[in-house]
Amino acid sequence: MRVRHPVAQSVIIIALAAIIAVVANGFASRTRQLKLPGYYPNALQVPPRVPVKVPPPARTEPDVVEPATTTTTAVITDTTGTIVPATTALSTTALSTAIAPSTTVPATTTSAAPAIATTTPTTAPAPAASAPKKVDLAKYPPHPDKAYVEISGEEAQALHAAGVLFLDARRTSVFEAGHIAGSHSYSVWEADIDDKVNKLYEERSEPAEQNRPIVIYCSGGACEDSHMLAQKLWGIQFNNVYVYKDGFPDWQQRGGAVRTGGQP
Amino acid sequence: MTFKEALTHPWLTVRVQIALGAIFIVAALPKIADPPSFAHMIYNYRILRGDLINVSSLVMPWVEIVCGLLLILGVWVKPARWLIAAMLVVFIIAISINLARGNAIDCGCFDVSAAGKTYEERIQDMWFVIIRDLGMLLMCAQLAFAERVRRTASVAVE
Repeated sequence: MRVRHPVAQSVIIIALAAIIAVVANGFASRTRQLKLPGYYPNALQVPPRVPVKVPPPARTEPDVVEPATTTTTAVITDTTGTIVPATTALSTTALSTAIAPSTTVPATTTSAAPAIATTTPTTAPAPAASAPKKVDLAKYPPHPDKAYVEISGEEAQALHAAGVLFLDARRTSVFEAGHIAGSHSYSVWEADIDDKVNKLYEERSEPAEQNRPIVIYCSGGACEDSHMLAQKLWGIQFNNVYVYKDGFPDWQQRGGAVRTGGQP
Repeated sequence: MTFKEALTHPWLTVRVQIALGAIFIVAALPKIADPPSFAHMIYNYRILRGDLINVSSLVMPWVEIVCGLLLILGVWVKPARWLIAAMLVVFIIAISINLARGNAIDCGCFDVSAAGKTYEERIQDMWFVIIRDLGMLLMCAQLAFAERVRRTASVAVE
């Protein structure tokens, strides 16, 4: 039977395309797969225009690092062999179970960094990094009435230093190109995001665990991926989520510890 | 040769058809290669319900590539042409709506990676995309017009 009517032919073309699309999606890699149907609650809300933020000039003079019992200055080795100096103040009691030390490269210091391959303790501070202030986590109480609270780069640095769990909401490929040291890839656009969120929920199933702070970031500016991830976490009872609004570009500007590759 | 004859000449029609098909194949490839990024682009338009975004970002590139191939192969040209014209109209409307409400976006037409442009650059690009899509719509019109003239001529001969 020959199909002659253009409308019927158009329907066949669309149906064929849909079948190929579904099959291709089924065989796609984890980072290129989409979940059907998608869930984007703010899909029809037009975001307000974000004013252009002029980044502060990078500081060239090294900062003086105040000695602290829980402070360790470490050299972070990424998976590609790049060495990124960083100043991190880490408290072993504040470390999350979800940010276990890397198994591939063992840490050699007693104060464990979240998945940071600490190779050689050194006293040389990072040239552009400012020493993060010691943070009292009691100042970051749960906020069950709202999905997230936006925080500044300074606060993000302090929370990072306190060993708070950092989640990177950008695409995995972008995460691998460079991310905040110790952060985990939780791309909201990839099909396995719900699995990752559920796994985090299993790891932090106790209410007290769920009330521990979590910081989420993406690319800053108009990027909303971190807000979307925060809403997802809030939806499953994570009541203490913070969005680092200026995100990774700001972190780089501040000279924060950066790591490349797929590991935290 | 009159303007109408030149406009509907098979030499031009074949080239327009192949060019249009090639454009849509080239446009579809990056979207097929990275559906999540394309889904993000569609999300940025803020005109599609959340549950339809992933479906659209998966199916639309394959419709583009199938239509492009059909145009190049000269098979089922009419439905392929109409589908492409329909998609172009949808793109123009979508961009226009966002221009009207000042939502500067990357169109995601040939590249699904965020370009890191300023607000003004994005708005300027959106105007360019509308003009470009109108140009492609004219190519569709040329194909339709040429086919109509050819049919009329063949009916007259019979």
